Parts: sequence; C-alpha cells; structure tokens
Amino acid sequence: MIPVAAMRLLAAAGLAAILGWGCASDTPRDITRLTVGMRFDYPTPNELIVQPTLGHKAITSQLLLPLMNEEPDFREGPPTWRPALAETWEFSDDRLVLTVRLRPDAVWSDGQPLTASDVRFTWQAQTDPEVAWILSYAKGAITDVEVVDERTMRFHFSHASPTQLADVAPEAVLPRHAWMQRPFAEWRDDPGWFFEHLVASGPFLLESRTPGRELVLGRNPAYFGADLPRLERVVLRTAADGAALTTQLLAGELDVVTGIGAADAQRIEGRSDLRLHAYSNRQYTFVAWNTGRPWFQDAATRRALALAVDRQAIVDTVWRGYARVGKSPILSDVWAHDPQLKPWPHDPEAARTALTAAGWSDLDGDGVIERNGEPFRFELATFAGAAARWDALQMIQADLRAVGIDAQPRRFDPNALLPRLLGNDFDAAVSGFAIDTSLDFRPVFHSESIGGGHNYAAYANPEVDALIESVATRLDPVTGLEDLQRLQRILREDQPMLVLWEPLTLAAFNEELESVAPNALSPLANLEEWAWR
Amino acid sequence: MSRFVLRRLLAATILFLIVLTLAFAVVALAPGDPMAPTDPRIPPEQAERLRALYGLDQPLPVQYLRWLGAVVLHWDWGQSYRTGQPVAELLFDALPPTLLLTGAALLVQYLLGIGLGLIAASRPNSRLDLSVRVASLIVYALPTFWVGLMAVLVLAVGLGLAPAGGMTSAAAFELGPIAAALDVLAHLWLPALVLGLSMAGDIARYTRSSLIEFQATEAGRAARARGLSETRILLVHGLAHAAPRLLQLASVSAPLLLSGAVVAEVVFAWPGLGTATLVAIQSRDIPVVLAATAYGAVLVIAASLAADLLLTRLDPRISLE
Repeated sequence: MIPVAAMRLLAAAGLAAILGWGCASDTPRDITRLTVGMRFDYPTPNELIVQPTLGHKAITSQLLLPLMNEEPDFREGPPTWRPALAETWEFSDDRLVLTVRLRPDAVWSDGQPLTASDVRFTWQAQTDPEVAWILSYAKGAITDVEVVDERTMRFHFSHASPTQLADVAPEAVLPRHAWMQRPFAEWRDDPGWFFEHLVASGPFLLESRTPGRELVLGRNPAYFGADLPRLERVVLRTAADGAALTTQLLAGELDVVTGIGAADAQRIEGRSDLRLHAYSNRQYTFVAWNTGRPWFQDAATRRALALAVDRQAIVDTVWRGYARVGKSPILSDVWAHDPQLKPWPHDPEAARTALTAAGWSDLDGDGVIERNGEPFRFELATFAGAAARWDALQMIQADLRAVGIDAQPRRFDPNALLPRLLGNDFDAAVSGFAIDTSLDFRPVFHSESIGGGHNYAAYANPEVDALIESVATRLDPVTGLEDLQRLQRILREDQPMLVLWEPLTLAAFNEELESVAPNALSPLANLEEWAWR
Repeated sequence: MSRFVLRRLLAATILFLIVLTLAFAVVALAPGDPMAPTDPRIPPEQAERLRALYGLDQPLPVQYLRWLGAVVLHWDWGQSYRTGQPVAELLFDALPPTLLLTGAALLVQYLLGIGLGLIAASRPNSRLDLSVRVASLIVYALPTFWVGLMAVLVLAVGLGLAPAGGMTSAAAFELGPIAAALDVLAHLWLPALVLGLSMAGDIARYTRSSLIEFQATEAGRAARARGLSETRILLVHGLAHAAPRLLQLASVSAPLLLSGAVVAEVVFAWPGLGTATLVAIQSRDIPVVLAATAYGAVLVIAASLAADLLLTRLDPRISLE
C-alpha cells in the first residue's frame, strides 16, 4: 500500500513536470531551426491531385523545383522568370518550339540524375485524363515535349502566345524514376503514397510528417545551391484558425505566421519583438451588378451606385487599413494598371443626382426609389464564411439605404451561390478574384463568358471584347498596354462590377529573423535564405 | 445480457443508418455544385471531368447506394474533394486527438464536478454551498469559446503556464517517449480543463442534489446511526447512490462534449475531428463533412451504449430484459 503522503508527493511532482514542460519556452533558441504557422495542411507533395493553393505550392516548391520561377516584379512589367532547374531557354524564330537546357548539377536527393525524361514525364502526367489535374488547361498549347538528350528538351506548341513561358515553367518537375511505378489511373487513390516515394530536387527534403499537424523540412544535401539553405530545419505547423496561430506567435511558440487576419494585426502591432509585413496578394473583391436585372441595366445607374458606396470606410473599418480601395480589376501594383484612373469618390449627393437623372425617384414616399414602377430593391448576396465581406455588406446596405436603395444582404453556401453566379441567376453579389500576370480578362468580361463563365455581371460590350482579344494575341504584352488601359477606362465608366478593395496579406515574424519576405507568389518565398541573426 | 447487448447493437445500427441517410439527404438536396470552378481560368469541361471522377454525374439514388455500400461494406468514405486523401484515413488521423481531449475533459468534468458537489452537499444551504451552486451556474452558462480564449490569453500567453496551442511542441519529433508524453500532457491540460469546466457545473449540481437526497433516505440515516463519519457517508455510500445518475449524465453529455470539442480544438489549435470538420465545412469538402457527422454519431451512440451497460452493473434494480 502506497502511503498517502507519497501519493500526494508523486501527484505534485507529476503536475510540476507537466506545468514545467508547458513553461519551458525560456530555453535558449535553436538558431538552426524555425517554426512556421500556416492555415493549411499538406496532404501530398503531388500538386497534380489536390486543389491548387498558394500554400500548397509554396511548400512543394521547397521540395520539388520547377524549371523556372516567376519573379515578383509584376509592378514593373510582364512576368520575368528566374532559372530554377532550367539553365537556359530559347524560342525558335516562329516561337513554336522552346528549347530548354537543365542545370548539369541538378540531381534528386537519392542521387539519381534529374533529366529531360523527368520533364517529359511531368508533362505526360499533367495532361493525362486519369490524373485529371485541375489546371491541365494551362498545357493545352503544348503538343509535345521532346527529349533531345539527357539535359535538353524541346517544348512544341500549337501556336505562339504571350503565356508560353508561364505554360511551361512554374509547376514542379516530378521524379519519373520514383513515381512512374504507380500508374496514372491510381494517382488519385492514395495521395499519401507520394510521401513514401518522395525524392527532392529543391533546397529541402521531407524529414517527418504528422498528418494534419506538422511537416518538418530538413536541408537537402544534394541541392545544387551553394551553402543553402541557411536553416537546417523548418517546422511547418498547421491550425484551422488564424487567431490561434497569432496567439501561438505571441506566446513565442511560432517564429513566423502567414495569412494573419486584419483583426489580429493589432495584437502584433504593439510588439517590439515581432514584425508585421503586409503585401499584395493579387486579389480583389467586387460587387457584380447583374446587368440582366432591371435595376442594373444602364451604366448611369451603376455609376451612381459606385458614388454611393463608401469604400474607404470599408477599408478603414473592416480591414483596419490593411487593404486598398479598388480602382480597377488590373490591380494598383500591377504594371498594366492605369495610374491616371481615379476611384469613384464617395459622394451620396452626386449619387442621388445621378439616380434622379437616370429616372429613379421615390414617388410613393416609402423611402425606396422607383423607376417605371419597379422599386430599387434587390438581394445582395455573398458567400457564407467570409466574415469581412459580410461586414462590408452591412456597410454597403447602409450606404445604399442613404440614397433610397434597399439592398438586402444574404449569405449563401458557396456550393449554392457559385452556380448561380456562373448562371447569372442573382441580383448583385460580392465576390473576389485572384489575378495572374497574363491579364487575360476573357473569362471575366468577354461576352462569350456569359452563362457558364465567370462574367457574373452578364456584361457585353463589343469594344471590350475586341480589346480583350487584341491583348491576347500580342506576344509581347507590353505592346498591349494601351489596350489594357483603354479597357480599364471603359470598365470604370460602365461599372459592370464595382471593385471594392484590394486586400493585403499579412505575415508576422520574429524581429530577429532576416531575409523573410513573403510575397504574392509565395508565403515562403526565399525560404532557403531565411535565418536567425 | 447478451440478448440485451444484441438488441441495443441492432438499434444502434439502425440509428446509425438513419443518421447516414439523413446526412446524405441534407447534403444532396442542398442546392449547388461542389465542383463549380472558383478559378475563372478553369474551363467547364474540367469541372465535368472532376464530377465524373467523384461520381457526381450519376443520379442521386445511384450516388446514395454506391456511397452507402462503400461505407457499410468497406468503411470507405470516399475521397476528400480538397486534398484527395481517403476520408477514412484523414479522420483516422484526427480521431485519437479528439478522443484524448474529450476523455481528459470527461475526467476533469467528473473530478471537478463531484468534488464541488461533495463540498456543497457537506454543508447544505451554507454560504459555501451557495457559492458552489452560483459558481456552477456561472461556469455552465459561460460559452466554451470565450472561456477558452480567456484561458489562452491569461494562463498561456500572460502567465506562460501552458502552451498556447497545438498538441505537441515543435521539437516533439526529437523527444523520447516519456518527454513526448509529458509534452502532450502539457498541451492537453488547459483545453481539457476548459472543455471539462463547461459540464463540471452540471455534474456538481447533480452530485449535490443526489448526496443531499441520500442523506435523507433510510440508508443515509442508518449509516449515520452506525456512527460512520460524514465524510465516509458522503464519499462511499452517497456517491454509490449518486453513481447511476451521474453515469446517465455521461451519456447525455457526450454530444455536448463533442460539440464543445470542435470549439476547443479551434481555439487551442488541437488537431482533432473538430478541426478537420471545420476545415471541411469551410472548403466545401462534402465527403469529409458526411463522414465527420457519422463519426460523431458513432461516438455518441457508443457512449450511450456503454453508459447503459455500466448502469446495469452499478444498479442491480435495472433489468437487462
């Protein structure tokens, strides 16, 4: 029989050990390691069988390199490309063939050489119907990938286009020798299989993985970069809730957190040991006015709506300043943005005048304006789960109410709202798009994208169609700048959608870290150069 | 005994099938298309291909029978739309942390609840009793997420008494087995306390009323007449009297504990079933949502069954037939 006193002592010792363990954050920092908190997990290193996200791509690119990486220089001009596995590349005179040479020192982490056959295998997987890669359309213009020798390959195109390098470059090159043993038809059956057969070409390799919780990346000794990465180990931890990650950062359990919400930013702003980094994520949020509905058929009315909505107040209140007022679907930090473009000011008086001029007035005195007996009352929809958008909707409702318009906010499950947007079966809706640097607006504003495409507003303007087509055919996008600026001016006047804001992404990290610079292309950009001071 | 168990198992199976069918019906009858492309660049044909891949191009009855057959015959819940992982595998990874958290919370709930109930019952209608009753009500009324957030801010971030989130430290993969277990316990105690607190007040009130009721029974009076100490009367005989009722409460609290676990897991970044369900809901991952609903149902049905069986052991007046 154990004496009671001994039992008490044992219990106290156990409690002290548990609490002591919980308080063990005072131990000296291990400067060879870094812990990053992210809001997404990493179910497989095979990017062809998961929904594409920036986070997944950011991790994959640490393990499996692409041929080239896009530079985050979209402010200066069309995308430029930095060599990764590719050493050189050259187009034929007719731009129908692109010859790429691989680096001679690129090898897989198991010592096998990385060859042109790996690149061809990757293209075969990307375009195989059984793999059913969701972005396979991007390879539509590539008719073949010809292996010339171990280090050289030729991409054959059906036609020249301004996006040819983007079509070839950015996806991870897959390890043929390791992954070809699994037939394409079985790739989607077991995403975890690719962890078991992962060999790396990037600066890191996978050291350990706890599903849904943690990935540990270790330095890849076979990586060709000299003395890189600077950290021996990077621990990537997952949580579903951004606020929980911020709390762990504040408690010193995480060193870097990406994707912090604006509401959590103020918890970090006052901390001298942490740095907050805001950057563009190349997204914008807008209200699409369905031009098929009677309220939104004329541009004069839509312009009045733009005058009625106080977007600066939304940016200041909902986003606490971590967003910019939207001016154009070509975002303000993209090279083709028209700097002369001014956002419509918030001017309720001018909005009332414009509405009256457009034939709207409150004849029955119920506080809601009418035209041809039709009250200006409509449903303003958005996706459930987007808290910032819902808050903004309340503010938009109040702004519109002030000019006699009755907008009725309503949240929908994404599965329910998206088909309605695609089918132009809604009144007005707040949604968002991410843009890439191809600046191809065919899916969003071209009249052929009405009914099934993403031209939610059912907007049709022959001049806009012609400008979109003209830009798409220019091999050098810079020559299309005039067309793109004309397009922006027309969209500003026609207002099929009111661009509300351009959100900024927030990352926070320990002040003692250097070279941490997440950007619109990757929250882990430049990870191999991150280090403790 | 075995007939009773078989009968209960049969009833549980039927209940499970009903839950499955209702969950499928609710999801299937909701308007919308989980494969509608959110990216404007993705052509409609690609969405069609994915629909075919996941069998969503089939008529609803066919989809239902295929899904039910796979679940019942192979425990195959399909694949996550978001990650492509087999759903059973995904939830298999998430289940142990949830069982650990809810098990620990149950322990906290009963230890704390019974302790407070004993204290209150030892001095009925005293100031101490009143304080325990008021405190129990307050704790019961406080929302778990608020208590969780305050606990994290004060005890973890402010006082550093516990890690602020997660189930292990970042360095846990380097630890030996004992250190790893201590590491998990250090991460566990605060979420378990927060989750357990929410129901502890209820247990305290039940314990108190059962013990006071016992003191007034013939058995209680007889114990006192035999000269037993008040502590022994309450601790041994009183708790034996209260045990069946408290056990029944465990089966009732299982669903509350599970729903509370979703909140606690999110606040404490605990990587369990609740977190997996939340992510699935946010990302329109219907196969995971369906399976998580079913897993929740299984846990609640199993808790109820276990409580019934234990009850018959504790209270001989209850017949199995």
